[in-house]
Amino acid sequence: MEFLVAGAIAVLTACGVYLSLRGRTFPVVLGLGLLSYAVNLFIVAMGRLQEGLPPLVTEGADGYADPLPQALVLTAIVIGFAATGLIIAVALALRATTGTDHVDGEEPSE
Amino acid sequence: MLAGVVGLVVSAAFLQFSAPDLALTQLAVEVVTTVLLLLALAALPRTGPDESSPLRRSRDGLLAAGFGLGTGFVALAVMTRPLETISWYFVEKSVPLGGGANIVNVILVDFRGYDTFGELTVLVLAALGVAALATGSRPARPAEVPLLLAVAARWLLPLALLLSIFLFGRGHNAPGGGFVAGLVTAAALLIQYMAGHGPRLRVRLAYVRIAAAGLLVAGATGIGAWFFGKPFLTSAHGEPVLPVIGGLPLGSAMAFDLGVYLAVVGATMLILVAEADTARS
Repeated sequence: MEFLVAGAIAVLTACGVYLSLRGRTFPVVLGLGLLSYAVNLFIVAMGRLQEGLPPLVTEGADGYADPLPQALVLTAIVIGFAATGLIIAVALALRATTGTDHVDGEEPSE
Repeated sequence: MLAGVVGLVVSAAFLQFSAPDLALTQLAVEVVTTVLLLLALAALPRTGPDESSPLRRSRDGLLAAGFGLGTGFVALAVMTRPLETISWYFVEKSVPLGGGANIVNVILVDFRGYDTFGELTVLVLAALGVAALATGSRPARPAEVPLLLAVAARWLLPLALLLSIFLFGRGHNAPGGGFVAGLVTAAALLIQYMAGHGPRLRVRLAYVRIAAAGLLVAGATGIGAWFFGKPFLTSAHGEPVLPVIGGLPLGSAMAFDLGVYLAVVGATMLILVAEADTARS
């Protein structure tokens, strides 16, 4: 299972990096989103993968999943949404002022 | 759309690995993120000319593969090592000090309340930034709304509000809490907005006020601790016995969570509404 999750993180990171290197704004937005998924999964994985042990205090539970990374990621998810909103707003403003969706603000000259 | 699917899979993965809070939050965020991406897609040109040369694309591909392999390898290396965590403190102290059984929520609104307060500020600031960047205004006459959507939206709002109150109320002891309740409410309000219900004018100002009220409530909860001679954001909890209802477990963390809820609703809606207006004009 660890291998599978590590593979998923790897694929998400690779897609995220590739997309954020594109020249148009929308792929960049998507790429940053994928990168944030990868980072969130990575942080949760730092608490190790544990199945069936939710961090809720109950009688007779035999251990809990690490709650600390989960608390960090919970806010990171919401902040990630706000960051996506902000970058889309920048992309729309760029489009409105320069008339292009290229990240340099002008069409490539070739 | 595909990104939405990725988000749902990530949410399922969180559920599998004992993180129910994260799964709920990710699920709710996914709804609003997909709407956001579709808005951006509607406003940006359909297709850009393919400007990358093959050389450049293969270079990017190599770079991406390198990053992916590296991250995956590090993740695997860490995961297969024994765990030595500092979380035992939170696990032990969650019920006696925080008064809640949901350790993740107790960490958020109690032990690490300062962090959460900072993150709320970031959220509201980002929303204000979006509102400042958004140029368009809502068209006076909304576009034709499908009848089914208009009818469903009316019925959905009370149900969604009920669900979010439920999630909010159980947040301290079971999966739920201010963040996810706020997102559920925002999703419901978003459907209202799409169906053309609700107040038409100055709707952005209203959400700015909600977000600001959330920050104020959270901050006031922290300052309240000063009156008892404790540092900022020290929390208290007790079980006052009310007539009729009986014993009610309450904590100052609840008020803080209310601030989280309001700030999340306000900021999320502000971002979505401002961007919807820009995309349409």
